[in-house]
Amino acid sequence: MKPQQPEAGEGNLLDRLRKSWFPAAAVVGALASFIAAALRLRPEPGTVLQTTEKPAPPVPPQQAGPNLPAGGFKREYRKSGSLVGGAAAQQFRSSLAGIAVGPGDRVYALGDGEIRTFEAGGSLVAVWKVVPNASCLAAGSDGHVCIGAPGRVEIYDPAGRHTGGFAAGDSAGRPAGITAVKWFRDEILAADADARLIRRYDRHGKQLGLIGTKARAGSFILPNGWLDFDVDAQGVIRATDTGRHQVTAWALDGTPLGSFGKFGMGNPEDFVGCCNPVNVAVTHDGKIVTGEKMVARVKVYEPDGRLLALVGPENFDPKCIHLHLAVDSKGWILVADPVRREVSRFFPVAEAADNAPLRDRETAGGIRQEYARI
Amino acid sequence: MSDKSSRRQFIDRSFRIIGFLGIGGAAGVLTKRASSSAVYQIDPFKCTSCDLCRTSCVLSLSAVKAVNDFEKCGYCMLCPAYMDVNSRPDEKGIPTGKVCPQDALKRRVVGRVDLEDPNNNYYEYAIDETRCDGCGKCVKACLPPAGNGSLRLEIRYTRCVECNECAIRVVCPDDAIVRVPVPGMAPTADSSEREKA
Repeated sequence: MKPQQPEAGEGNLLDRLRKSWFPAAAVVGALASFIAAALRLRPEPGTVLQTTEKPAPPVPPQQAGPNLPAGGFKREYRKSGSLVGGAAAQQFRSSLAGIAVGPGDRVYALGDGEIRTFEAGGSLVAVWKVVPNASCLAAGSDGHVCIGAPGRVEIYDPAGRHTGGFAAGDSAGRPAGITAVKWFRDEILAADADARLIRRYDRHGKQLGLIGTKARAGSFILPNGWLDFDVDAQGVIRATDTGRHQVTAWALDGTPLGSFGKFGMGNPEDFVGCCNPVNVAVTHDGKIVTGEKMVARVKVYEPDGRLLALVGPENFDPKCIHLHLAVDSKGWILVADPVRREVSRFFPVAEAADNAPLRDRETAGGIRQEYARI
Repeated sequence: MSDKSSRRQFIDRSFRIIGFLGIGGAAGVLTKRASSSAVYQIDPFKCTSCDLCRTSCVLSLSAVKAVNDFEKCGYCMLCPAYMDVNSRPDEKGIPTGKVCPQDALKRRVVGRVDLEDPNNNYYEYAIDETRCDGCGKCVKACLPPAGNGSLRLEIRYTRCVECNECAIRVVCPDDAIVRVPVPGMAPTADSSEREKA
């Protein structure tokens, strides 16, 4: 039997492919893969290219602090109203850098390059211009006011007349980064955040000593570049150590006297975030008032670190990085909110809140929600 | 015999064509880069770290990277961009979780080292760019009031392939991708117009 011959033009398979579409397809394919590789084709929007996200670890249940009063705070503060900003008329235009309380509970507010003085009742008494880059102020018992500015301390008499001043800094001529000033009798104490210590001067600018250098652990840790302090009638200095989440106590000669506070997100007694407390004040009965950022709140402690009261974040702008503090002779707390440019006053209610439940936002979950919201 | 030679010729020709195209493409890209006077960059004041830089860049690992400004950084022990402060604390009360899903933020102790108490140390935070995918989680976590705002997102020129139209710019909801002039080169027409405006 004669084998069947292929018809003309059929040939073998390769030959047919070569002659027909194979060369064109090969070239087009090679070109397409070259262009695709060169351009690395853009993925569809929303495509997750790399993800190693892990589910968040479970949050531990809230634990009451060892010293926290069971179920509530011992003392409660209520807002009395605003002295500056808010419903009050005396709004600063662009800045509010600090507040201080002087004799007769007269209030001094620093902002917009000027000082505004208010009677205890809230009426505006005087306004005077100060150096434009002033960062803090303090009022002495004789009514003199001192202003802290980068590398300088300026002194004004009760009428607002400039009566003196001096350069502040180290012996090498580096100017002090002054973030807080306070009067103690006839001395002026100035916090130098750049050098991470407190400088002690007499009224004429002669340096009498340094505070913050004698601790075993080293000087203050200040990630936020801010050092605040207050001094009580006995000369005990309470200063913020924001990186260590502590309030530290010092004698005037620089001897460390102790500290309290630690980081924590679950217990209102602790300090949240990277660096807190940012501001501090001491009341006439020795209680310590702290101001925090991130969860903007004010807390009142016993000198040994037991939490007495808490003024919650609903009273302040959540974007505050400072809550400047001052206290008057009656124990009222004055808080300057630099974002809202508002000075609020809080007065203590009789200590009857022993059995009051913790408000939800001050529980561990509440603090975390507040943190996440901001 | 003629079949074999023609096949060889065909393959030869194909490779030549591909080779020419490759050389031509590379030359084109290089010429375009050399002649451009502006590059894509992120405006940190507009950027909201929305995560689209990670998903929209044409590169498999985005050309956008987090950058730490050491002048502004607080060298915190409890850096909110490094540690997830809401995560479970260890026995010393330090949060155990990390913010970066790629573990691209690396820290080391700088200055005097206290081995007993980590609270007494300063820590430097640097970005491992081989891991960073530009998600911006650390940037968000470092924003004030939580941190000092020292972290920001940047397009790295060494990685950016300078697409005709930046794929991130197309989708950026904040118009944060801008053309910025490269120092030493003449400004482009649109940048000089913008300056006039």
